[in-house]
Amino acid sequence: MPIQTRRSHDGQTLIIKIEGRFDFSTHQAFRDAYEHGGKDIRGYVVDLSEATYLDSSALGMLLLLRDYGGGDNAIIAIENCNNDVRKILTISNFEQLFTIR
Amino acid sequence: MDEPAAKSGPLNILIADDSDSDRLILKTLLRRLGHHVLDAANGHEAVALFGSGKPDIVLLDALMPAMDGMEAAREIKRLAGERLVPLIFITSLSEAEDLARCLEAGGDGFLSKPYNRVMIEAKINAFNRMRLMHQALSDQRDLMHERNRQLLEEQHVARRVFDNVAHTGCLDAPNIRYHASPLSVFSGDVLFASPRPAGGMLVFTGDFTGHGLPAAIGAMPVAEIFYGMASKGFDGSDILREINQKLVRILPKDMFCCGAMVEADFGQNQLKVWNGGLPDGWLVRSRTERFSVPSRYLPLGILNADQFNAEMETIRALPGDRLLLMTDGVLECSNEEGQLFGEKGVRLAFENVASGRHPFDTLLNGIQRFTGRQKFGDDLTLCCLEMVDQVGLTALPDGAAPSTLAGPAEWRCVYEIRDRTLGEFSPLPLLLHICMEVPGLRRKSGEIYTLLSELYNNALEHGVLELPSEWKYTPEGFGRYYSERATRLGRVNGHYIKFSFHHEPMQWGGRLGVVCEDSGQGFDFHNHPVLQSTEMEQSGPRYAGRGLVLLKRLAESIRFHEQGSRVEIVYDWYF
Amino acid sequence: MVDKPHLDEEALAELQDVMEDEFEMLIRTYLNDSQERIISLKGAMMDGDSGAFAKTAHSFKGSSINIGAPRLGELCREAEEAGKSDSLNEAPAVLEAIKSEFQRVTNALNALMARGAG
Repeated sequence: MPIQTRRSHDGQTLIIKIEGRFDFSTHQAFRDAYEHGGKDIRGYVVDLSEATYLDSSALGMLLLLRDYGGGDNAIIAIENCNNDVRKILTISNFEQLFTIR
Repeated sequence: MDEPAAKSGPLNILIADDSDSDRLILKTLLRRLGHHVLDAANGHEAVALFGSGKPDIVLLDALMPAMDGMEAAREIKRLAGERLVPLIFITSLSEAEDLARCLEAGGDGFLSKPYNRVMIEAKINAFNRMRLMHQALSDQRDLMHERNRQLLEEQHVARRVFDNVAHTGCLDAPNIRYHASPLSVFSGDVLFASPRPAGGMLVFTGDFTGHGLPAAIGAMPVAEIFYGMASKGFDGSDILREINQKLVRILPKDMFCCGAMVEADFGQNQLKVWNGGLPDGWLVRSRTERFSVPSRYLPLGILNADQFNAEMETIRALPGDRLLLMTDGVLECSNEEGQLFGEKGVRLAFENVASGRHPFDTLLNGIQRFTGRQKFGDDLTLCCLEMVDQVGLTALPDGAAPSTLAGPAEWRCVYEIRDRTLGEFSPLPLLLHICMEVPGLRRKSGEIYTLLSELYNNALEHGVLELPSEWKYTPEGFGRYYSERATRLGRVNGHYIKFSFHHEPMQWGGRLGVVCEDSGQGFDFHNHPVLQSTEMEQSGPRYAGRGLVLLKRLAESIRFHEQGSRVEIVYDWYF
Repeated sequence: MVDKPHLDEEALAELQDVMEDEFEMLIRTYLNDSQERIISLKGAMMDGDSGAFAKTAHSFKGSSINIGAPRLGELCREAEEAGKSDSLNEAPAVLEAIKSEFQRVTNALNALMARGAG
């Protein structure tokens, strides 16, 4: 499964984990993940520890998640990026919109 | 296609059998099942009837005189072409070898004698279902082909429109070199270049998310904004703000445009750059000296107007310095092993540059060697802008498309900006626009803009901010100048700049009077070397000196009042 | 080997059902064609043409089976075999058998029609 979701211990954060390529083919699955993640979600974490590749449509999907999660008020963190993924996020300056760790 | 075949209506069935009695039996049987029957007594007749009757199913006796069943079958299958017309051999042959020959001749099935009514009905129905399914598939395939062809054609047309928009402007200027994707590919990359009314250039490189038509569609409004504003004298930051706002409004949330804006001022030997999401740009001064222009901002189309930062970085750049911009297609070029060119490839390409070689060629060659293909870079955009000496006053062609509207002949106008607005807003495009209402002035937009621009910058920097222009011509002073400028603009209080216009028609054309007044201390124009001298001698590049030279050349007359904080010029135009 | 019947009553009944008004015409067509085939067989045998002999026998076999004359059909099959294996020396005997069986079939069919089938 390219996308897995789970909740944090306190149940308020939805953790979405992506395996393999994060590109246009993951579009629907990613959207389903956060749209059907359940109620009372305060924040999101996108776990990229097993993501091998990220392209501009993935950046677009992150923007959609941000919009869904409240836009400027959204709390979204992107975690465990490898170097290549990190580089892409850096060039796009996405740390201005997301917490990246 | 889900209906039982029996319900799908009567079929046309061709039967061929040399035995009259057998033929009669079969014909009657089929008719009772509700079908129309064509009957032939031998192979020749069968083929002829097939051609004229166009049956849906064929029942052929395997052994017949005068062109036997096999040959007739082959001929019939050939005539049927792509259509599936089930062909059933009627035979009392039982040898496997004989049956195999029937199949080889094109037979789809067998029917044996004696005729069994139930068996015949079942076979007819089964083969008819097969026939209908095949027909449906063929139709769908043909439909898909046609739709696909239409789509490709539409894309082609869209591509031509896109090309008129995407790679345009003064990209063919001698100081610009570029590589953009070829006709066959919608890459979503754009490259715009425009001269500015008072000289200098604006260049924009963009990379829209995605591919194909959706990616390309954002290019249209962006091109319009870019060229429209550039020709009116707006600067890079203004244009960026407009583009960003437009894209935020029209693009869906997950689409955006990575871009870089460059504002080149040849007169002042400087570049202003803004990079939001593109790979590092590179300023190449010489073989060893180069530095990067990294992306510092989010791409366009994401942040709202109040969060968007259009501040451009100012870099000193002399004639011969070259700025390279690229989209990520360059980094994503791959070789046969699937490795990416990447930033590493860019650095290596530069390191291997032979002296005197153009960095644009160097980089393209590097990419070509890496990918090992002649036809690389379907998806990459690369642009190189070279700093040159200020050339002439009007880079725009003098004949901008004339408006059919008539305009005001005699009018006055006063426009004043104060305090914080001085730092945040340039009145020049608006003032130019006002002057352009006069038809006779429209073809002089370059000169008018230059005049207004010199007056305004003079008033702002020397009058209000009191910045000595000498600072700009040393490396340390350069930085100091701009940081002081920013600081002083933040503190402007009680200051103003006021423009007064007056235009009247004359017998030979028209006369535009412009008065520019500022709240500053002024300067000693009585002893000004340039104003006093009759020669164009200049000791070192002095902005104020050069500015006033321009004003002298363009205007009919210049007069200074109030210690130079009030400048009055008269500009005449002729029919 | 059990001898096949001269007429297959069941098959004939079904034929009548299918052909309805045209039953009689069918029978007459068969009888006419069959006479021609017998003449053909004789001719081929005299010419020593085993290919033609086999073909005609094959055709005769088929229509006989369809019409519901199984024994005649079987005899025709034997004739076809003889033709295929180029053993026309066996032909005269089987041809005689065919002729006489055909006579039986003709009589039976005529009787059927007279009984009021047409």
